[in-house]
Amino acid sequence: MAAFLLLPVLVLLAQGLHTGFLTTLRTPAVLDALRVSAVTTGSALALTLMLGTPVAYLLARRRFPGRTVLDALLDLPLVLPPVVAGVALLLTFGRSGLLGRPLELAGIELAFTPAAVVLAQLFTSAPFYVRAAKAGFLAFNPDVEAAARVDGAGSWATFSRVTLPLALPFLLEGAVLAWARSLGEFGATLLFAGSLQGQTRTVSLAIYSAMESDLAPALVLSTVMVVLAFAVLFTLRVIAGKHS
Amino acid sequence: MRSQASSRVRSVLALLALLSGGAGAASLTVFAASSLTDAFTEIGRAFDTKTGNHTTFSFAGSQALRTQLTQGARADVFASANAAQFEPLVQAGLISAGQPFARNRLTVITPAARPQVQTLADLARPSLKLVIADRNVPAGEATRRALDLITASGTYGNDFASRVLKNVVSEEPNVRQVALKVQLGQADAALVYVSDVTPALRKSVRTVGLPTRFNPAVTYPIGVLRASTNPEAAQAFVQFVRSPEGQRILRKWGFLSAP
Repeated sequence: MAAFLLLPVLVLLAQGLHTGFLTTLRTPAVLDALRVSAVTTGSALALTLMLGTPVAYLLARRRFPGRTVLDALLDLPLVLPPVVAGVALLLTFGRSGLLGRPLELAGIELAFTPAAVVLAQLFTSAPFYVRAAKAGFLAFNPDVEAAARVDGAGSWATFSRVTLPLALPFLLEGAVLAWARSLGEFGATLLFAGSLQGQTRTVSLAIYSAMESDLAPALVLSTVMVVLAFAVLFTLRVIAGKHS
Repeated sequence: MRSQASSRVRSVLALLALLSGGAGAASLTVFAASSLTDAFTEIGRAFDTKTGNHTTFSFAGSQALRTQLTQGARADVFASANAAQFEPLVQAGLISAGQPFARNRLTVITPAARPQVQTLADLARPSLKLVIADRNVPAGEATRRALDLITASGTYGNDFASRVLKNVVSEEPNVRQVALKVQLGQADAALVYVSDVTPALRKSVRTVGLPTRFNPAVTYPIGVLRASTNPEAAQAFVQFVRSPEGQRILRKWGFLSAP
């Protein structure tokens, strides 16, 4: 089993590092893909942190009607096939979708823009963060927060000085997982945002496109992805080490 | 008791015979260009009914299928949307020489709900969202060739192709994905094959014809792979596609007959 899981990755690395890695790395197709991926996954991560943290906190701390249902439903994108997510996004945010007309009237153009890529990534990756963050907020006794408040800390001070530091390893883990997921996003992006070099063609889409003509960029980009995957694993290990 | 058991054995055997397709029948795998999806599905059904074979299809961009075949994918027949994605396989000794079996032309489509293109000149209008196939996809290659021909004619200006290509918002991996983007109303216009405007699509799009002088017909080659485990059945399929019945089905789905 271990051989089955590791052999393809090693073969890929061996091939990828062979074929004039650095020259291919500097071609416009590869650089554009890396740039598009960096910008879109960065934006998706920022949105995830901004919008996901309050949701996770509410789910962990407050009791409100429908909380369990909401909690369960927010995990839906985790188990949904990405291409289904793409169809759902199209029907909702597409130009002839539910919100297409209102968005257009508001002057917001989503179709075939990097923003559409970000939406696809946000939809498929945010639940990873929300899950981890919720676990983080549940990992310590809320009495600590109460104590801070008794000692005169305001709600923001309590959150930033007590809650966040205590939950931080979980938040980081969730952020890394969510980022990795959005970096690998393929199905929803292709369907919802299309594929154009320098605009919406992320690393995954560029690999797919290059596989059909010139293998070299596909191998180089795949190698970069493997290296990033190792980095993600390493980071998760370090975070987990801090946990215990 | 015994008769019940033996009848069960018989029915299991019958089922096995059914699954294996019976005597003389073969399982065929056909790799075919995306644009052939509807026509070949119908041809496959007619062929199976006639011969008792069991034909399954893998439809994708010809360039993707060619890559898969080069990487050792198993198939009996390959039908490509142009020679450029077929000849390298012949040269590599993977497939017999291609036989032409259909031709196709391009057309412009635009959403029927809000048509953004009335004439070819509109393709170059700034801010039009145009979707075409990737340059390796046969339809994408034909699109770029057509744009060059229009530019060379001078009718729409000497920078027509570059102005049109500036409007491209997505380069799709196969021609059916291109058509889908217009069908969903995501794109304002697209260039697809005439045969892609299927009855299902016709309701939601409007077509703008591309004159023949800008629109040289592309020829589709078909051939039997050397690694085929059923070369006779594969050859029979190729012959069926080129037979009057196969040609009738192809014409029904908007293809032109092979030269």
